[in-house]
Amino acid sequence: MGFEQVPKITRRSFLQVSAGLTVAGLGIPRVAHARQPRGMASIIDLTLCDGCPGKEIPACVAACRNLYQKTVPDPVDPIPKLLPRGKIEDWSKKKHVYDRLTPYNFIFVEKAEVEYQGKKYTLHIPRRCMHCDNPACATICPFAANHKMKNGAVVINDNLCVGGAKCRTVCPWAIPQRQSGVGPYLYFAPTLAGNGVMFKCHLCYDLLREDKTPVCMEACPTGAMIIGERDEILADALGRAVHINGFIYGKDENGGTSTFYVSPVPFDIIDKAISHGAGLPHFKPAKRRMAEASALETWVMASPFIGIAAGVAGAFSILSKRKSGKGGNE
Amino acid sequence: MTERILEDKGLVIRHSVLELFEHWAIALSGIILILTGIFEMPIARRYYINELPGLAWSADFIISMKIHYLASVVFVAVGLFHIIHHGILGDRGMIPRKGDVRQSIDVIKTFFGKGEEPPFHKYLPEQRLAYAAMAVIIGVLIVSGLMKTYKNLIDPQMSEGLTILATWTHNIFFVLFIFAFIGHMVAIILKPNRPMVRGIFTGRVRLDYAKHRHPLWIAEIMESQAAVAEAIKEEEPVEEITQEDTEIAEDMEQTEDPEEEESQ
Repeated sequence: MGFEQVPKITRRSFLQVSAGLTVAGLGIPRVAHARQPRGMASIIDLTLCDGCPGKEIPACVAACRNLYQKTVPDPVDPIPKLLPRGKIEDWSKKKHVYDRLTPYNFIFVEKAEVEYQGKKYTLHIPRRCMHCDNPACATICPFAANHKMKNGAVVINDNLCVGGAKCRTVCPWAIPQRQSGVGPYLYFAPTLAGNGVMFKCHLCYDLLREDKTPVCMEACPTGAMIIGERDEILADALGRAVHINGFIYGKDENGGTSTFYVSPVPFDIIDKAISHGAGLPHFKPAKRRMAEASALETWVMASPFIGIAAGVAGAFSILSKRKSGKGGNE
Repeated sequence: MTERILEDKGLVIRHSVLELFEHWAIALSGIILILTGIFEMPIARRYYINELPGLAWSADFIISMKIHYLASVVFVAVGLFHIIHHGILGDRGMIPRKGDVRQSIDVIKTFFGKGEEPPFHKYLPEQRLAYAAMAVIIGVLIVSGLMKTYKNLIDPQMSEGLTILATWTHNIFFVLFIFAFIGHMVAIILKPNRPMVRGIFTGRVRLDYAKHRHPLWIAEIMESQAAVAEAIKEEEPVEEITQEDTEIAEDMEQTEDPEEEESQ
């Protein structure tokens, strides 16, 4: 799966695509059978984000930290050790960190110096959860502590999460961050099972429910981040990309997300220019591994009908043999 | 009629091939579901399970999930087949009967040397109760598992309440399924029950064991076999007297008469 370069779409074909998207949503995937995603989506326009020059912490990051850092509890002291092995992750004494994702920092802005087609660009790139359309982080959570809400946000329920970090393992960008020593696992067997709570951007889920804008977007002085109805936002993102002869990231990655980055520079070039490591998401192609299981999921959904049909056919075959006096051995 | 006494071999047929297939399909897929279900918890790496030979895959949640799906196709299809097939045929041998709870307690007491076992039908009262419990557990696992699969495949934005209900129901009944499986294993280890083990592998148990412990079942089989034999006897075709027969009879009469006359 490559990055989508929108400029190759002509104005006419773009309008056709836009109309198709508007009328038929995102179309029906050939393999996956998921319903059309509902709710909100957002654009992060890299032509507009300037990283808030003159401010130590970009406005979006500061607004998010101001509102949510206090909602992440401090861990118990000491944090229980893990048996037989496991790594305690404690960010409570590093709350000041704002240049990567941490349990106390849901968004950060990365600076990238890149060159494309002989032109140099200085890009400022807000990074946070992509809020995927069918997120593996939610699918594989064994406690339903992670959920794709009807408004599009993917939200971790800190009352149910025990910090196993499966969500981070299956997330293509390893977004969720663990804080050990907090959460419900402490009430059971903290040395043997669980390791805290996973935290990440929840797209200001509560504010969205009140028809308010997420604080990062509200605080952005350049309007680089906007949110709205999914179909309109996607059409808007495609239009912006066509307009600048640019690129989109997030439309198809991991089977589709609710975050569309618009950039004048291909994302593989950006990916080479940014830092990589824990809490620093990449811009590589992201395949949705759960899609490999779609055919099996279809078989699972069909299996009761197969069983019922075989049961009825087998039973009536035996009954007819009994009736005709041919025995009908079971 | 599957159940049959094989006097010459000293055996009784206890299960049909189909019943053996149903049992083993549920058992083997169930064991795979238990293992892959456990591997859906983030424990394989933490507890070095993925470092055991042949279990490196156990730390990959998506591989475990695929195997879980594959096993559940068998589990669900055979589970539904079992209920529908035997339901239509009216097989009631494993359905709990009145007094099974009290009788089960009495039977369990005998395992510890208290009292004597009553004569049994094909299944012990605690087997009937265990079957009912297992059926409920498997039924709930199937329904909640299908809800989870529906969410994963078709509706990732299913309501949060319903998702939590399906997931936690699945988890709780998963634990109950493990307990039920352990209970099942303990039951076959108990000495008095051991002769039944060969039945679930070969479909046959020893006749002397069955006569001693399941006399009510043996009586049912004998009664049934006798009834079948009687029915066959009654259904033996009575030759119709045709015109031809009448003529033959008349001819015979005519030929007999002179003999009679001769003899007289």
